[in-house]
Amino acid sequence: MSTIAETTSRGQTRRRVRIDGWRWGGRVFLVFMLLYTALPMVWMLLTSIKSGFAAMQLPPQWWPDQPTLASYQKLLDPQNSVGQDFLRFFWNSLIVSTATTILSVIVAVPAAYAFSRFTFPGRNFLFFAVLLRNMFPAVIFLVPLFVLMRAIGLVNTHGSLILTYLTFGLPLAIWLLKGFYDNIPVQLEQAARIDGATRLQAFILIVMPLSAPGIIATAIYSFIGAWNEYIYAYTFLSKNEQLTLPVGIQRFFSENTTDFPGLMAASFMMSVPVVVLFLVLQRYFVRALTEGAVKH
Amino acid sequence: MTIVSGKAEARRTLQSAGFGVFRKVWEHRADYAYVLPAIAVMLVVIAYPIYYTIELSFFNTPPGLQLRDKTFVGFNNYTAILTSQVFWQVTLNTLIWTFVSTLFSFVLGFAAALALHRDFIGRGVLRAILIIPWVISAVAASYIWKWIYHSDFGIIGAVMVELGLADRPPNFIDSVGTVLPSLIVVNIWREFPFAMIMMMAGLQTVPDQLLRAAKVDGANAWQRFWHVTFPHLRNVSTVTILLLAVANFNSFIIPWIMTGGGPSNASHIWITHIYELAFGRQRWGVASAYSVLLFLILMTLGYFYVRALSGNERKDRSA
Repeated sequence: MSTIAETTSRGQTRRRVRIDGWRWGGRVFLVFMLLYTALPMVWMLLTSIKSGFAAMQLPPQWWPDQPTLASYQKLLDPQNSVGQDFLRFFWNSLIVSTATTILSVIVAVPAAYAFSRFTFPGRNFLFFAVLLRNMFPAVIFLVPLFVLMRAIGLVNTHGSLILTYLTFGLPLAIWLLKGFYDNIPVQLEQAARIDGATRLQAFILIVMPLSAPGIIATAIYSFIGAWNEYIYAYTFLSKNEQLTLPVGIQRFFSENTTDFPGLMAASFMMSVPVVVLFLVLQRYFVRALTEGAVKH
Repeated sequence: MTIVSGKAEARRTLQSAGFGVFRKVWEHRADYAYVLPAIAVMLVVIAYPIYYTIELSFFNTPPGLQLRDKTFVGFNNYTAILTSQVFWQVTLNTLIWTFVSTLFSFVLGFAAALALHRDFIGRGVLRAILIIPWVISAVAASYIWKWIYHSDFGIIGAVMVELGLADRPPNFIDSVGTVLPSLIVVNIWREFPFAMIMMMAGLQTVPDQLLRAAKVDGANAWQRFWHVTFPHLRNVSTVTILLLAVANFNSFIIPWIMTGGGPSNASHIWITHIYELAFGRQRWGVASAYSVLLFLILMTLGYFYVRALSGNERKDRSA
């Protein structure tokens, strides 16, 4: 008896010491990661509220002496040419991303459902073909797609971007959604079928509402992907009034290379929509990755 | 009786050998309707370009991309690549870039996931902040870091001068020796949250009972991690590492925006090099040949990816 009590109590003290060591290690590590992640973003914000002169000093003003919102005013003022361009790029990005998102959901939902529920010949092959697409870089597709878009008259239109974004967003959308459908019990649909619903009705009335979180996650993913996309937009669009934000900003600041407060303000504004969207809906997003990636 | 059943069996084998496939396809014809839109889009925008790239890689195409004037050159484009000096430099850069980025993104992401696994005050906020770099545009990230590395007014250089580590701010991205490591730091900044999310998801699947049982048996924290947690995460880890490797191999925006591959090719990786060959110098044939080589490499990686994924599935089914 006494020996057992002794060993357990000794084991406990030893364990407590060890765990504290790991836990403190974890905390220190998290602080390090927080600094690594957040400091660049903090510096972006601090620079964006400096004047051009204040930003270019050595030693730097760690905290702006005279904070100013001039850069933001310039970007958001429709009267001045910089603001006009910026707002137009913003609007273009919004249109392209929204259209891509809606189309992705429309195409991915039935496909993911089929991959999850039906067994038809070639199912696995098709599914992996869809996943494999994810592996190839945009550059491989650039030249032929450029020729294709030129042939069907889509170069310099937002349609060319929407079509290409749709395809590179689809594999992940299908993958994420399939994870969701896999976790919805088939019995629910079977019950609906017994009650007289057709397969399509069971899908629309039973499965769709249950998979709403998955659809939201898919939509966020498509939106963020389209919003941040650069290479295709850089290659397919050449007219200034059609550029999306990433390309527009790059083109703009290759002409004004020293306006770092303006550049930081523009980077910040470009990040706001996706970060807000992500923060508001992140629990769906993380859950979708969990279901899709881990449980598969 | 036996003859009849034997006939039926023969018919069945015949069917499964030849016509069975078609019958099965026909029986499931309605199922394909669900997949058709996805497949149609993919065929136009994926299968056609792949065929096209392979074709172009055997031709010389004039700079204006006038396809009628292209001339067949056989494997010349391929030999031109393999004998050029830039190729080996760019390949070495790509290997360093992919390997170091993947390794650090995974290790940092995994460690962050482990540290965030236990509940504490502010965990949700911290997690959200750590994920933000992955969400924002790579173009924005590139400009932020370009400003941080700025050779005259960059904050890192300024801190080094203040601390007496350097006389004047170092030229991080304008000198051959430091440019690649500097860009890799940016890439890891953007990629580690992905590994973190994946591993956080994976950690949730490790059964608590097993950990508690190991604890009762006297396993210390490290032993519990190594013998219980880690084996459970092997599949997620494989998939995460492969996805990271592919994403890093395919990086374009960070090197392109920050340095454009310079100085003197020190930060060119395959993708930026291909882009420059195609759209910068209009050498369509060589760029296409590069793409085909890239394609072959990725197919090999893809094979392992699919194997890792189907390994997951098989395990799930048997469990």
